[in-house]
This record gives sequence, structure tokens and C-alpha cells, in this order.
Amino acid sequence: MPGTVYVVTSGKGGVGKTTTTANLGGAFAKLGRKVALVDADIGLRNLDLVLGLEKRIVYDLVDLVEERCQTRQALIRDRRFHELYLLPASQVKDKEAVTEDQMRVAMRKLAATFDIVLVDSPAGIEHGFRNAIAGADQALVVTTPEVSAIRDADRILGMLGNRRARLVVNRVRPDMVRAGDMLSIEDVKEILGREIVGIVPDDEEIIDTTNRGEPVVLDGSRRLAKIYTAIARRLLGEHVPFANLSDDGLLDRLRRLVIGS
Amino acid sequence: METHGSEEARQPAAMTVGDAIVAAAAEESRTEARVTSEAQAKNEPHAQSGAHAATGANIASPPKPVAHGRPIVITSGKGGVGKTTTTANLGAALADAGQNVVVVDADIGLRNLDVVLGLENRVHRHLLDVIEGKSTLDDALVRDRARRTLNLLPAAQNREKDDVPTDAMLALINDLAVCFDYVLIDSPAGIEKGFRNAIAGAKEAIIVTTPEVSAVRDADRIIGLLPPDIEAKLIVNRVRPALVKKGTMMSVQDVVEILRLELLGVVPDEKDIIIATNRGTPVIDVEGSETGAAFRRIARRLLGENVPIPDMTAPEGFVERLKTSLGLSKSQARRA
Repeated sequence: MPGTVYVVTSGKGGVGKTTTTANLGGAFAKLGRKVALVDADIGLRNLDLVLGLEKRIVYDLVDLVEERCQTRQALIRDRRFHELYLLPASQVKDKEAVTEDQMRVAMRKLAATFDIVLVDSPAGIEHGFRNAIAGADQALVVTTPEVSAIRDADRILGMLGNRRARLVVNRVRPDMVRAGDMLSIEDVKEILGREIVGIVPDDEEIIDTTNRGEPVVLDGSRRLAKIYTAIARRLLGEHVPFANLSDDGLLDRLRRLVIGS
Repeated sequence: METHGSEEARQPAAMTVGDAIVAAAAEESRTEARVTSEAQAKNEPHAQSGAHAATGANIASPPKPVAHGRPIVITSGKGGVGKTTTTANLGAALADAGQNVVVVDADIGLRNLDVVLGLENRVHRHLLDVIEGKSTLDDALVRDRARRTLNLLPAAQNREKDDVPTDAMLALINDLAVCFDYVLIDSPAGIEKGFRNAIAGAKEAIIVTTPEVSAVRDADRIIGLLPPDIEAKLIVNRVRPALVKKGTMMSVQDVVEILRLELLGVVPDEKDIIIATNRGTPVIDVEGSETGAAFRRIARRLLGENVPIPDMTAPEGFVERLKTSLGLSKSQARRA
């Protein structure tokens, strides 16, 4: 049975598509799945940097679709995981270098040998976005609890056709939600009307691990690693309850103890 | 055209990041040449007259007006680094300084500048209506509530970037520069048609980046794609001094050293910005906000005042890694 191709997309940029792709990929690999990550952001690639694989790129997605190399030559193995591979984007070409049909063919080939294929989409709704979704069976829409990100996510959901689309709500700050300064998860769900498979808190660790090219999921003891693993398991069909994000400060804990809410 | 320059360079072991950078630079200079020649072609008189027809007769009154305004594109490559927030706040601060300002949302299909300014309920015409002659410029412009000299030209939400011809965009911006002192163009993320349209009429560029490897890498790519006649300056946004001191965030000096642009300003990260954006008020209106103060200083610098940039010192670290990835390690210091 062929694997599942997910596109990770958002509309708005900078909400965490690439970080989500890298960490979910790592989480799937740790759960024993054979995983391919595809950077579809031709010309502005970054998935290689987030994974720390930027020095090992020889061939890329454009080479593959133009048949200048074999699939196995273009894939870079991330040796820190059991079976995790990156298909990097070309940095010097632009998005028009690849057609939607070529993407469909390439993704079908990957799905024949991999359990999970995650396609990291560029921001926006232009040619690069259409390429990224072309070969995808399902979609993960990453958003943040901010008005502009939600609006763009809503626009994207309307462009995904009949693909199953689920939400990852990223950069949640429980303190701000409580203070009424940020939309709550319930608000997001109500506005977008799709199933939420992940709620990821805003965490400074992400900046550090991204800069160092070490996905946070590498260290299974970290809070974010557990959250990404839970998302992967939900996508695999398991029922995993959501962790309580609000136990993030002594003051909050104290407040709950005292007030009892 | 080969991705990595030549077949020899494609030998796996021989291929270094440096090779890729050289090939990239070669390709970029070709792109620049093309962009420039296109821009020159569009300055022909017939393109101008077409523009006046498209944007309404009210602007094309004889004698031919002179464009005195400054068209500035706000762009970044990477999304989510703060282009729209920067555009809205600089627009508001410049209006407060008595300037006639129009902010243009060039993100056709994913507009947000209207939301950030809290003007979304007043939008009824948009940029494409003007270009297609369905609306006059006056009808499409949305005047800000609090600031009488701040105007928004909204993007169309249900159209695509490919619907906007680049020469029509250029003509529109030229027209706006006749009526306004400042024309701030909010670019979409990426390097596709939407980006090329956003830079078409600009004479200056503000590159917004954050002190993160991916944002700096994308900014570097964008700078290479700008035609040489556009003067580019840099804003480093979302700086968290605490993280810089801890050594987990790049310093502003690191970013400037890599990108080699004149620094226009440094904006600290605060949650004020999320609150202000969700409410549709510019953060410059939030009393006591460091983020707002930083944007006000940047506006003053744009107006030619000499306002010092607060210093944020930082140690070295992973920065060397990014420099290597961009071909900027000491052995490859090509880009003077």
C-alpha cells in the first residue's frame, strides 16, 4: 500500500510550516515509519537548515523532476533518525522550474517507497503553493492564534479541493489567551471548522534549535518533542489526549491551587 | 541552465556550498539585468499614458505632474517576519509627522494590511479595480480613522497575483508618487510574481528580517534579486535582547555583517505587537511600548533625522554556520 503524502501549508508565512515539517518528520521516524521530507520552497529553501543538512546537498527536487538524477541520489539521509530523508529544494531556480504534473509524478514515486511524505509548502498561494499541494493526499494547515494567520488559513482551506485538511495551531501563549489578548483554541476551531491535530505552545527553544539545525524532537524528554510525537500519533489514527498547556508557570499553578479552577 | 553551474561541479564530492553560491550569484546577476531592462521598457511614454487611463482621469491633469513622493517597498523573502506590521506602523508614524502617506497592500489574495490597520470593514474597492479601470483611485483609497493623511490601497482578496500586469503596477505606483509624499508597498512573501509586482515601481526597499538563520538566508536571496537601482536598507525585527545575551539568538551586528546593508532600525520583540495587531491598532499608539518607539525612530530616520540606533551586544555562536552556508566564511569573503 502506498504511503500518505501530506502537504504542510499555511497561506501566511512565518507561522511554522518548516519547523512543523522537520519535527513531525522526526516524530514519525521515531515511531518507526519510513519518512521523506520534501522542501517545495524552490528559491527560498530552509528545511535543510532547520535539519542541519545544508552541507550535504548535491542534487535537488528540480534535478529529480528533470530526471538528472535518481530518487535515491537526491534524498539526503538524516542519520540521527532511523529512516528520515530530505529531498531539498533548489536554491537558484524559481518555482516555475517545476510543474504540478511533475510534482504529482514525483510524490507518487516517493509514496511507493515511503510510509509518510511531508511536503513543506512555500508561503502564499502562487505557483509554488499549487506545486506543493499537487501531489498531496491530505493537508496539514499550520496557523497561529492571530487574526491575519487565521484569515490566510481560511483562504488556503478553500483552495485545497477535497483533500482532508487538519489544523496545527502553533505559537500558542496560554497566558495571553487567558488575558484575552489571544484567540483561544476553541475560537480557532470555530472559525476554521476543521479538526485540530496539534496545539503547540510558543517556546524559545524553537529559535535555538532551528539556528543550530537540531530539531527539538531529537531529545524525546523535551516538552515540544512530546507534543510533536502526539501529533504524529494522532495522524496515524491513535487517540491521544491533548496535554494541558497551561501548567507553564509557578504562579499559574499557585493560582489554581488557591482559586481551585 | 544547470542548477549548479556546470557538469563538473555536479560531481557529488566536488560540490561545495561555495560552488553553489557562485552559481547562484551568476544566476542572480542575470535576473537583475532582466528586471532592470524590463523596468526601463516600462518607463516608455506609452506605458505612462496607459496608466493614467487606468487609474482615472482625475490624476492626469495638465500640466504633467511631477512625482515627488518616495515609493518604498517593504519586503523580506520569508513570510511572517513583520512586513505588514512594519508597513502599517511606518505609514502611521510618517502621517503623524505631517506627511501624506499611502500604504499599498500588494499581497493580492492574502491581504492583511487592512486588518492590521483596523480598516477591513471600510474596504469596498481594491488595487485590481483601479488597475482594471473599474474604480477611480479616489474611490479605492480607504482613509484611516485617526490619521487624516494616512490612506490604504487594499489588495483584492478573491483574485490572484498573476492577474496584475507588472507594467500596470509600475504605472500605478508612479501615479501614487505624484499625489503622496510616501508610497509604502507591502510585498507578499516569496520571490514569485507577487514579489516582482511589489518591487516594480519602488525606488527604495526596506528589507525586514529577524535574527534567525532562515530569515537571514531568505533576506540575502531577496537582496540579490533587487534591481541595482533600488536602494535597500535593513530593519532587524523581533530581536529578543535576553536571547541575544544568552547566545541563542544572532545579534544585530551579525545580521548586518552578513547582509551588508545600511541598518535603518532595530525592533524588539514584545507581545504588544500581537495584541495591537489583533485589535487593529498600530503598535506605535500603544503607550510605553518599546516596539512602537522603535518604529517611530525608524520613521524619523526615513525623514532624514539623525536618530541613534540603540545597541544590543551579543556573543558569537552558530553565526559562523550561516555565514558558511551563504559563502561568507573568511576564506570566501567575496562580497565586499
